Amino acid sequence: MFFRIMDRSRMPDLVRGLAAEYEVIGPIAKDGKFVFGKVEDPSDLRLDYDTTLLPPKKLFFPPEEQMMRFRVADNEVVDDEVYAAPRVVFGLHSCDINGLLLMDNVFMRDYEDPYYRARRESTLLVGVSCTSSETCFCNAWGTDEVHWGFDIFLTDLGDRYFVSVQSVKGAELLDRHVESREITSEDTEEFQSVTAAFKDSFSETLDTSQLPLLLDAKFNSPMWDELGDRCLSCGACSMVCPTCYCFDVVDRLAPDQKSGARERRWDSCQFGEFAAVAHGQNFRESRASRVKYRYYHKQWGYLSKFERVLCVGCGRCQRACLAGISPREVVKALETGGVQ
Amino acid sequence: MKTALAYQQAGVNPYRPWPARITSILDLTEKEKLFELRIIDDEVRGAFSFDSGQFVELSIFGVGEAPISISSAPSKQGFIELCVREAGDVTSALHAKRCGDIVGIRGPFGRGFPMQEMKGHDVLLVAGGLGIAPLKSLINHIHDERHEFGKVTILYGARNPDEILFRYQFDMWKHRDDFELILTVDVPDDTWTDEVGRVTRLFEMIEIDPKKTYGAICGPPVMYRYVIDEMRRKEMDVDRIYVSFERRMKCGIGKCGHCGVGHQYTCIDGPVFNYWEAMNLQEAI
Repeated sequence: MFFRIMDRSRMPDLVRGLAAEYEVIGPIAKDGKFVFGKVEDPSDLRLDYDTTLLPPKKLFFPPEEQMMRFRVADNEVVDDEVYAAPRVVFGLHSCDINGLLLMDNVFMRDYEDPYYRARRESTLLVGVSCTSSETCFCNAWGTDEVHWGFDIFLTDLGDRYFVSVQSVKGAELLDRHVESREITSEDTEEFQSVTAAFKDSFSETLDTSQLPLLLDAKFNSPMWDELGDRCLSCGACSMVCPTCYCFDVVDRLAPDQKSGARERRWDSCQFGEFAAVAHGQNFRESRASRVKYRYYHKQWGYLSKFERVLCVGCGRCQRACLAGISPREVVKALETGGVQ
Repeated sequence: MKTALAYQQAGVNPYRPWPARITSILDLTEKEKLFELRIIDDEVRGAFSFDSGQFVELSIFGVGEAPISISSAPSKQGFIELCVREAGDVTSALHAKRCGDIVGIRGPFGRGFPMQEMKGHDVLLVAGGLGIAPLKSLINHIHDERHEFGKVTILYGARNPDEILFRYQFDMWKHRDDFELILTVDVPDDTWTDEVGRVTRLFEMIEIDPKKTYGAICGPPVMYRYVIDEMRRKEMDVDRIYVSFERRMKCGIGKCGHCGVGHQYTCIDGPVFNYWEAMNLQEAI
């Protein structure tokens, strides 16, 4: 990886330059919150955002998408092409880039998902450093750092950005659209002190070392019943999660009933019928079993396959949960044996 | 076995079903029919191979998809048989189809029975109700390569005589001395001359050599624990007892999340697990 220094005042040049070639999507303000949306003007871009309502997964794995169009008569697929326009997602925090890397394991390894891959491959990622907020706990998983998976990453040093350049395309973009200079040893030192200060800014650290083991050892703990009693099964935690990838598939018929589209939409393991099979058996009927499964899969199921937990500590689920359930609380309960 | 790799090499969209023609429909019981399907595309059909215990996603556009285990033996080339109970939207739509109609097939998916490992050993198969469907593939496979296996015992239970599947074939086999076949029902009728009671009761009637026997179990979820207890009582090894699970395998390729069992996915890690693995899967049995 190589590094450049870009003056803060050059930011609009960079965004404008990118917008000339790509659709630029980034954090913008919307109704008092932030969302990833189309950046029409560099001034729309709010790099001071804390977090967005929905994670960037919506850009690669949309809440609803058409998988294929079909003809009923001969059960034939008419069209399963994926159209993905070239674009740049600008201003991703390291947690969200890590979230995409975790999704990549599911969608781009065995049985590659052509829809996800097309969008992923047509999109450049520009990361930006952040400051921790109250609901963040990325430091628990090491996702407060990101070492690969972006094209360029901007670390805010106040009057300038320390730019990590990882891909050929990232290097080209920087070269073409903005003035930058080589780094000095002072820049690197300042970069180190900024990242160290970020690490120190978290109010607590979670002990997660024994988590997979504890999930099995405490599988029958009453803590799950207590959490199940509070959970409303609304599924909001899954919807706002940058790493929840479960989906449902539905066929939508055209009014003439002769053709239609097969679509998929986000689903949640918290919904009552999620694990029910056709003749009526429901393998996760109780809310307690569903709340437990969400954690069991994220902190152990996924880990058993990909050696990482399926959580980046972004804190969105905690913000979205009407019952106030947070992963921090669950992890602590596993460690200490009781729900707060 | 058709794997993820095969899909990738072919550059195929794994969600895209292959059109397949229904070449035969056999009424088995009031609720179950046996469908024989033939994939229309010559190349895809030629490349289609599977292990007993694997499943396909049956796709009917406008209705949806359902995971169905393959009932025919891998040695039956060019056709696959699916034993389907009318239970949900997709299976009801399939039941309404006629011979010659076209449906879609994706797969085969999942991990089947370890056929290579089982060769040279005795096999004890235990089925309850519709659980005979995946085991039927294994039974037919053993039948086709009978000399490769030792003693073969089949225990099969259903609620009543009308619900015994593939009875025409089992009746033919009753007099064979190279298969020990015992049928049982919970509620007999006047014509029933076989056993009465739970399938677990049949273990009193059989002799097995635990050191050289593989077990294969499929049935309703409540059945597994009791059958495994009997096999353990006969001192069979935990890693030689194989179970096949039914879960909501919606995508079949480890993405949609619906078939999670413990830390695994039934669709890609199963649906066949050995009992040691199953013991280590939370809420599996």
